[in-house]
Amino acid sequence: MSRVTTDAAPREASAKVEEYVFGGLVAALGVFTLVDAGSIAATRDAVGARAFPYAVGVLLLVTGVAAVVATARGRLGEAEDGEDVDTGVRTDWLTVAKLVALLVAHLVLIDLVGWPVAAAVLFFGAAWALGAVWWEALPIAVVLALVVQVVFASGLGLSLPAGVFEGVPLLDG
Amino acid sequence: MGSLTALLEGFATASQPEYLLYALLGVTLGTAVGVLPGIGPAMTVALLLPLTYSLEPTAALIIFAGIYYGGMYGGSTTSILLNTPGESSSIVTALEGNRMARAGRGAAALATAAIGSFVAGTIATVLLTALAPTIADVAVTLGPADYVALMVVAFATVAALLGSSPVRGLASLGVGLFLGLVGTDTLSGQQRFTLGVPTLADGIDVVVVAVGVFAVGEALYVASRLRHGPVEVVPVGGKWFTGEFWRRSWKPWLRGTFIGFPIGTVPAGGADVSTFLSYAAEKKLSRHKDEFGRGAIEGVAGPEAANNAAAAGVLVPLLTLGLPTTATAAVIVAAFQSYGIQPGPLLFTNNSAMVWALIASLYIGNVMLLVLNLPLVKIWVKVLQIPRPYLYAGILLFAALGTYAVNFVVDDLVVLLIIGVVGFFMRRHGYPVAPLVVGLILGPMAEEQVRRTLQISEGDPTALVTSPFAAAAYALLAVALAVAAVLRRRRPRVPTPTG
Repeated sequence: MSRVTTDAAPREASAKVEEYVFGGLVAALGVFTLVDAGSIAATRDAVGARAFPYAVGVLLLVTGVAAVVATARGRLGEAEDGEDVDTGVRTDWLTVAKLVALLVAHLVLIDLVGWPVAAAVLFFGAAWALGAVWWEALPIAVVLALVVQVVFASGLGLSLPAGVFEGVPLLDG
Repeated sequence: MGSLTALLEGFATASQPEYLLYALLGVTLGTAVGVLPGIGPAMTVALLLPLTYSLEPTAALIIFAGIYYGGMYGGSTTSILLNTPGESSSIVTALEGNRMARAGRGAAALATAAIGSFVAGTIATVLLTALAPTIADVAVTLGPADYVALMVVAFATVAALLGSSPVRGLASLGVGLFLGLVGTDTLSGQQRFTLGVPTLADGIDVVVVAVGVFAVGEALYVASRLRHGPVEVVPVGGKWFTGEFWRRSWKPWLRGTFIGFPIGTVPAGGADVSTFLSYAAEKKLSRHKDEFGRGAIEGVAGPEAANNAAAAGVLVPLLTLGLPTTATAAVIVAAFQSYGIQPGPLLFTNNSAMVWALIASLYIGNVMLLVLNLPLVKIWVKVLQIPRPYLYAGILLFAALGTYAVNFVVDDLVVLLIIGVVGFFMRRHGYPVAPLVVGLILGPMAEEQVRRTLQISEGDPTALVTSPFAAAAYALLAVALAVAAVLRRRRPRVPTPTG
């Protein structure tokens, strides 16, 4: 078992394309900053509200272009490692997409059916997507969501929207 | 001797049962998040910010300080006992400590890390106590141009000196500065970069950004490359309370402390640099050179002490100048600001009671951490084994909750998701996230000081560099950048152990 590998992780073919896109986006954000800064009205103090945005725009544009150039020269960024990260495996895009979809579902559901349901869906879905057994994850998700709801409603004095549980004692702050 | 009296008063406050409880809560949470991969102190403080609005500032800051110190202790447990490398600042510990654990000397490795952290944390807190009021006295005399210089130094060290790629660090800083610009300009009252979206008129909340890049970004990134299967933990073995243990540990602890503290204070590179320097020093001085790479206790004792001393050192510029040099420090500044307190030289005059209670709580927290991490280490081993699907599902849920609890509007969750996705790609491509958070928090402060400087000088830009202090700061920065450029070309790779 080898550990603390630095450059040994297999580079995926798409990594270089992604790096170009990311560097390009940084540069694009720089251009946007420079253009939009022009619409800020000049103010009466010596520097005004524009100067700093211009400087930030230049920084973004220069570093974005430099990142693209570095990528072209083959100097790719080193992907971050971590205790739970297996740098040797391919990117699991499907799981990432599932988690993003679950977060979107969560924020839509909060206003529709209330926080407890939205939270249970997020926790259950994420645990399941990451490999938990569904019949184990489901009760944990439901209990966790209800406990947090009660703690917020009764303990912290911050009430989360109860949604379908509106009017239920303990759950509706 | 005014500060000694003040410190004693701080102890009187911090040792009230209520505050002791807050400190205990902080260090326990801090150790837990330090032990758990995927969550760090920066993110924890950010998540707890909205929940602590109902507390008074002193209580909240004592909790945050506990989390900050606790995170350092917990991280070493993980790197010693887990079979996979961890955060960069504790990677040297992983190297030696993990070897020791596998050779059946896990108890000694954990003990030297915990006691070393305690010794270093305590000595560094004493140094903080002694230095901070003096530095604050000097800092009061600094003008806006001097602050600009200090912030430029902080930006440059966080973005360009740390990490493997200066370009990516600066790009990350730029994104953070940009996010800091979004909102209403405080001086002219006009909106900038809000695209007409009402939610953005108040600016992007620091909590949302910090939780987005740290929690959501990290969870998505780990999910993309999750190490499946059960968590492998090395069993803790061996005895530690031996003569040899103390004989070989005490000097590295002290050396680590005096290497780490100044580096944390300066800020010339944070915990990373201090642990590497300490490791190199111990290897050079050791009479057991052959053991290095195979589990030398000095290689755990020194770097762990350096790591903790650097963490305390970071508090010096934070409390006296209001300058955060790490992501966690940046979030703590945001916490101060949310209570309407601006950390800086005036903190010691305006909020004297609070700041001394905070410093006193650091001493108390260190003692608590020693107890939590030495006899109770078995509990943390259990925490370490939480199944990863639940850990990351929980991180996502509490990230969403913490963000939602800021304003109770769903729009914040949209911003959270976008920033989380950005954080995911930053990790994939080696863009460090700390400069983004530091840029977001220091950016608006830097802009204000630049504009104030030029208002005083009536538009003459040379005012930014003509103050002697500012000129000296820029000169030092230039030297540091040059040295770093040279070192970057010659820096030897961390040895790759096999087997």
